[in-house]
Amino acid sequence: MNESIDDQHRLKELEKTVRILQKKLQRSEVDRTELENASELRESVLKTVIRDLEKSHTILQDRGQALETALSDLKTLQMKLVESEKMSALGIMVAGIAHEINNPVSFIYGNLDCANDYLQSLLGLIQLYQIHYPEPIATIQAEIESIDLDFLKQDSKNLFQSMRVGAERISEIVTSLRTFSRLDESDFKMADIHKGLDSTITILNTRLKPTPVNPEGIKLIRDYGITLPCINCYPGPLNQVFMNILVNAIDALDELVEQGGMPESFVPTICISTELSPLNKVLIRISDNGLGIPDNIKDKLFDPFFTTKPVGQGTGLGLAISYQIVTEKHQGRLWYDSIPGQGTVFSLELPIDQA
Amino acid sequence: MLKVVVGHSEDPESQYAVEEVLDHCRKDLCGLKPQAGILFAAIDFDYSLILDHINQAFPGIDLIGCTTDGEMSSILGFQQDSLALMLFSSDTVKISAGVGLGAKENPTLAAQQAVHQATGSDASPKVCIALPASYISDGSTTSGGEILKGLELALGNHVPILGGTAGDQYRFKSTVQFFRTEVLTNSIPILLFSGDIQVSYGTACGWTPIGQKGIVTRSKGTALYEIDGKPALEFYQRYLGDRPPTAETPLAVYDGQSDLYYMRVPNTYDADSGQINFLGDIPQQSIIQLTDINRDEIVSAAEQSFTTALARYPGTASPEAVLLFSCCCRRWLLGSRAKEEYQLVRNALSSSVPICGFYTYGEFAPLEPEGTTHYHQETFVTLLLGTNSPLEKP
Repeated sequence: MNESIDDQHRLKELEKTVRILQKKLQRSEVDRTELENASELRESVLKTVIRDLEKSHTILQDRGQALETALSDLKTLQMKLVESEKMSALGIMVAGIAHEINNPVSFIYGNLDCANDYLQSLLGLIQLYQIHYPEPIATIQAEIESIDLDFLKQDSKNLFQSMRVGAERISEIVTSLRTFSRLDESDFKMADIHKGLDSTITILNTRLKPTPVNPEGIKLIRDYGITLPCINCYPGPLNQVFMNILVNAIDALDELVEQGGMPESFVPTICISTELSPLNKVLIRISDNGLGIPDNIKDKLFDPFFTTKPVGQGTGLGLAISYQIVTEKHQGRLWYDSIPGQGTVFSLELPIDQA
Repeated sequence: MLKVVVGHSEDPESQYAVEEVLDHCRKDLCGLKPQAGILFAAIDFDYSLILDHINQAFPGIDLIGCTTDGEMSSILGFQQDSLALMLFSSDTVKISAGVGLGAKENPTLAAQQAVHQATGSDASPKVCIALPASYISDGSTTSGGEILKGLELALGNHVPILGGTAGDQYRFKSTVQFFRTEVLTNSIPILLFSGDIQVSYGTACGWTPIGQKGIVTRSKGTALYEIDGKPALEFYQRYLGDRPPTAETPLAVYDGQSDLYYMRVPNTYDADSGQINFLGDIPQQSIIQLTDINRDEIVSAAEQSFTTALARYPGTASPEAVLLFSCCCRRWLLGSRAKEEYQLVRNALSSSVPICGFYTYGEFAPLEPEGTTHYHQETFVTLLLGTNSPLEKP
């Protein structure tokens, strides 16, 4: 009796389970179809959102690129403005000084020979007197001894020679100043690179001389190629490049000497070499045996406004402008090799004739 | 004293299901007579038979209820195709039911009818539970917002309204409401609680906006005509291609210039004019955005809703009953994880507290403790009920 009630109960439970499972199966089928539709829908939404994001990403990238270009253009423009302002001021000043010095020097240089002739004539006259009046009166004899006439005769030659050298040196400097400023030579023309280098060195001459800190001075070696032809270039701007590189080399050597601790045999040296490259281009190398360039700033060396010099001493424009002058104005190349602690070589490669 | 019990059956056969549900309830009532009840039924049951059985078991009971998109209770947890019943018995809490008809055509009048019937001589209800129709037999919908306005008008702003609109298992055709022994459509059944009743509630959503924002340039009520000066459908088509807007792709509608937003679910559309009809109103000039979901965030919103309600609960004792109203879209998008919503609430409560709830087509709840009620979508609403003189536990 109990068993049959139990069986009935179990049967009822089983029937219920079957009903529930059937219902669940029905619902699963419906749910599955709807789920498939829903997943397609969401996929579509997400795809569109991703497409939108990609689009705006590209737009942003382009905008960023445009801004970077604009910034770089602005920097270049600013650099050019500063430079042209500076060069024009410097050029006017240098030209003015050169002109003002040139006139008085001409008087001196032009009259030196004349003055020498006068003196020689007077000395000749005195000698004639001495021949014809071998026994001068006591007063004259005393004066001859007092002015040491023999030495005066002998030394006046040296004196005039030295004055001539001095005057020549002044006119040489004036010529260099004019060559450097090249106010009259901003045009593209044939020029001798060696002359440009020499005029720049002349201007920098004082910085090569011995100082209390650097009693040896800086040794300059000129290793100019003999067959180097004149090249078509902008001589003024090119001199400025030489100037910038040489000043940096001198600064590096000064810094090293000031720092001290070098062996006694060390001689601070700058070497300028020129040659005609196999590709028929002019190759100029300016090397120093200074501190070299630290690796961490190598990438930034030609960046505008990058400088390692104390505030007020460097604009950070020198090498940037030089780079621009060489690459853009002359279609040449400017690069450097440097080993920290051993020195730096700046190399310029310039075409002889630009089409 | 308030005694709340639940019954729940997953038997698809109406007769067996209602018997099982009543068995559960009788066992826990310990001879007490319930005066009111809430019934949540899946779509394929024989409703008349079920209501008759309940009325036979507890003659004259003030019962309301509706069809759903899923049922929850502390007996079987989350279920679909099931029958769930919550019964209230109390000598200190007064509970009465009312119903209004013609919810679509005249929501204000229907709401007034329901409130009037339920209030009777007692004019100081403390909370209203409403289970109005959403889809009516011809496939059109009522306006949740208008029904809410009607109820507020009849009750006054100070009575919080909680609940949800009836569902039909995601078929979006026709929903059914229950009032005592009547099976209704297009109606607003409500329960009003007064006397020694303590109430608190919490809401949370979990959706996140995605894609480009747009401005509603032309809309009226629940009809959205233009976004950014172009037909509303074009905004959707950018993301969906030729697929129509559905409940899976609700809009986030921003509240003014703030970052806060509420959800609006698209319902029907007109391919020719590009107009989309939503299940809630969308104000003109509001900023809208499509939304995306993350199931983790949706599930955790359920817990957040519950903890908010619990933190606000004013009673000196613990709550004695929990009612949950969760959006059908949550159930649908959570799929196999839908049961976690109920489970999170269950785990946070002592095991003896009865829980009952359903998946709705639109939720009613205030956002703030003393605030006015809002009509929500995609939201999880927790309602806690209790008294200051709880039943002694055996």
